[in-house]
Amino acid sequence: MEFKYHTLDNGLTIIGEINNRAQSCAIGFFVRTGSRDETPQISGVSHFLEHMLFKGTEKLSPFDVNELFDRTGAKFNAFTSEENTVYYAAILPEYLGQITSLWSQLMRPALRDEDFNMEKQVIKEEIAMYKDLPHYYVMDKARSLHFGSHPCGNSVLGTNETITALSAGQMREYFSNRYAPNNMVVACTGNIDFDSVIDQVQSFCGAWPSQDVRRNLEYTRGTNRKERSEKPNLVREHICLVSPAISAQDQRRYGASLAAMVIGDDTGSRYFWQLVDNAVTETASMQFEAMDGVGAFYSYIRCSPENVEKVDTILDDIYRTLPGSITEDELTKAKNKLLSGITLRNELPMGRLTEVGFNWVYLKQFRSIQQEIDAVKSVTLGQINDLLAEFNPGTYSRAALGPQK
Amino acid sequence: MTQRIDKFVLKNGMVVIGEPMADVASVAFELALPCGASKLPPGTGGSAEVISDWIFRGAGARTSRELMDALDGLGLQRSSAVGSSLFDLGCAMESQTLSQAVDLYGDIVLRPRLEADQFELSRELAIQELAGLDDDPRQNVMLKLHELFYPQPLGANSLGTTAELESLTIETAAKIIKDKFRLCDAIFGIAGKYDFAAVCDQLSKLFEDNSKSTKENYSYKLPGAKYVHHTHDGAQVHIGLMTPAVTLENENYYNARIAVSVLSGGMSARLFTEVREKRGLCYAVGASYHNLKELAGIACYAGSAPDKAQETLDVIIAEFRRLSKGISDEEIANAKAGLKSSLIMHSESSSARSGGIVTDHYLLGRVRPLEEIKQKIESVTADSVLAYLRNNPFEHFTVVTIGPKELKVN
Repeated sequence: MEFKYHTLDNGLTIIGEINNRAQSCAIGFFVRTGSRDETPQISGVSHFLEHMLFKGTEKLSPFDVNELFDRTGAKFNAFTSEENTVYYAAILPEYLGQITSLWSQLMRPALRDEDFNMEKQVIKEEIAMYKDLPHYYVMDKARSLHFGSHPCGNSVLGTNETITALSAGQMREYFSNRYAPNNMVVACTGNIDFDSVIDQVQSFCGAWPSQDVRRNLEYTRGTNRKERSEKPNLVREHICLVSPAISAQDQRRYGASLAAMVIGDDTGSRYFWQLVDNAVTETASMQFEAMDGVGAFYSYIRCSPENVEKVDTILDDIYRTLPGSITEDELTKAKNKLLSGITLRNELPMGRLTEVGFNWVYLKQFRSIQQEIDAVKSVTLGQINDLLAEFNPGTYSRAALGPQK
Repeated sequence: MTQRIDKFVLKNGMVVIGEPMADVASVAFELALPCGASKLPPGTGGSAEVISDWIFRGAGARTSRELMDALDGLGLQRSSAVGSSLFDLGCAMESQTLSQAVDLYGDIVLRPRLEADQFELSRELAIQELAGLDDDPRQNVMLKLHELFYPQPLGANSLGTTAELESLTIETAAKIIKDKFRLCDAIFGIAGKYDFAAVCDQLSKLFEDNSKSTKENYSYKLPGAKYVHHTHDGAQVHIGLMTPAVTLENENYYNARIAVSVLSGGMSARLFTEVREKRGLCYAVGASYHNLKELAGIACYAGSAPDKAQETLDVIIAEFRRLSKGISDEEIANAKAGLKSSLIMHSESSSARSGGIVTDHYLLGRVRPLEEIKQKIESVTADSVLAYLRNNPFEHFTVVTIGPKELKVN
């Protein structure tokens, strides 16, 4: 494995982790923009724009784009979060040139009115789809409740109303402010010819002007608000807890991931033994999400409506007894699970792409798999207990969604 | 790329298949037992799901907690799945922990403690999971579709019914384990970094037993087209649709796979183009090949707002029917490129390969070499797919909808 990087004059950085023994490769454009960079008037624009990039350029129609991707057999897609929009493809090495060229061109989309109006229908269907997935719905609700007026509470999808009201002109303006070369990173992994990637990106993207791009990086500990909503067609109670944590830039992030695993991994965690093993809940899990300048622990719990009170009592007990209580044995198990996950994920160029890309987005660093492994191994019990003393997940915002009482 | 397939058969008939992978530090194994949902005694639906939790609640010398601690202590990434025919226990890990993991799975399969109080908890969790399906119309519609498309018991939902789960006794569940965990009919697949001789030696010590094969030979027929609607006051109508296709054993298998890819292999494929790109009817629409050993079909899902759902279903059915009218060489080339790249990317994942070799062995009695699959894909032409469609036309559709509006299947 060899790491290489190159920055164009306009600030666009290209990074690559080269593994010439791999049979495939992956490439992605990581744009540092998402719903936290939106104003209420344009809520949902980042995600809608992600869809619009597939609608082509002045030279390529939407059907051309789909055809060009499919001709290579690429496994390609994109996703939008609160703070990143990522376009990626996993491909066989012989098609890397074609796909690099295609993504590079798509980063300067035509944003035609007729495509905008058609895709608006698709976005509304996506919003409707998530309404029928209570798990996602309650997570979104909890995020918005927890972050309150902080921009990380902004909805990624937007609402039917904001999407209906959004104009193609507003999208073009947002695009021109956010898709600057100095606000994106091109990452590639696996069996790649890095120099030819540089040449191609330079030829398509080298003339784009850099510009001043800002983001509100204020930290927040959240609102601790609690809210329950009802839907008559539901049969289960869906609960999401959100509590403050450290940011993606904080060196204690490995400890935070391990802490979330000790408390709420799918197997063998405190949630598991006190909620799932005894069938009080159907599922209960916790994850640490590191973001730009801010972070949070998220828990998702699903149970019968009759068990909600019991669940709250158990959660109180878990968090009351948490301070200083994590044991060496719990930490070792969490480390082993995290480490095997790192090994397996990183064996595939596509799995490696997101790690390499996000490490650069957040830290401006290349971190080898070995560095990640060493960092996980070096976390001590004292560090975990200190972290949980400062960020006890027992003080949380709580959104619930369930049937009518 | 050179590919090697290792094979060893235990004295009792249990088959061990391996695929070594260079350049990985991981290994994954999958143990497939003949205890899938369709292999259960009548009236015991859902029992395999209960069993899949119960056997992990203590085994051999270890209590439930000690067993979980041991599995987690090795950092195992575990999975278990109850399919139509097989009950799969899978596990991926860093290769140095393989032998300890296999020992633990030996206990879980051969010496589960099967304690009464733990049984009640496993059963309660299965009942909860079944209830949870009502809150997930997207997953539910596909389960109900399989139930309607395949003859019973092949299409049975692995969670059974609430009545079956509530009436399941500890004695019945324990007897199912005794009768159905037949190692002589089990397949153990392993892929990644391993020493095959050492694996076989360990498996011979652990899994050699006196079980007798009781392979059943039933013949099944698809029940024919039907439409069923389930009212649900949600935001979308969730549409599941299935039509028959040939199985993996059939010489036309690759023609069927390419036909599905032309319909739904990528974003330039017909369903995405006609339903989403040209009409904006859906966010999610897609079709895929679904096979059991005995029968197979092409399954399609779409979710659409009530005022667009009828048009969505009409366009999907029209696209299935239109396929036999003509397919371009470009469409065939794209479908081939997509299938071949999936094949190569799967070959890089130890988990995907351990599952893949078990499935191949179960369905065909052998593992298809990647080179053979590539050649078969390559040999498909527009004419061969059209000839297949003439003999096996997409004409009869089993449809299930869940949502606020009932549709018409035209």
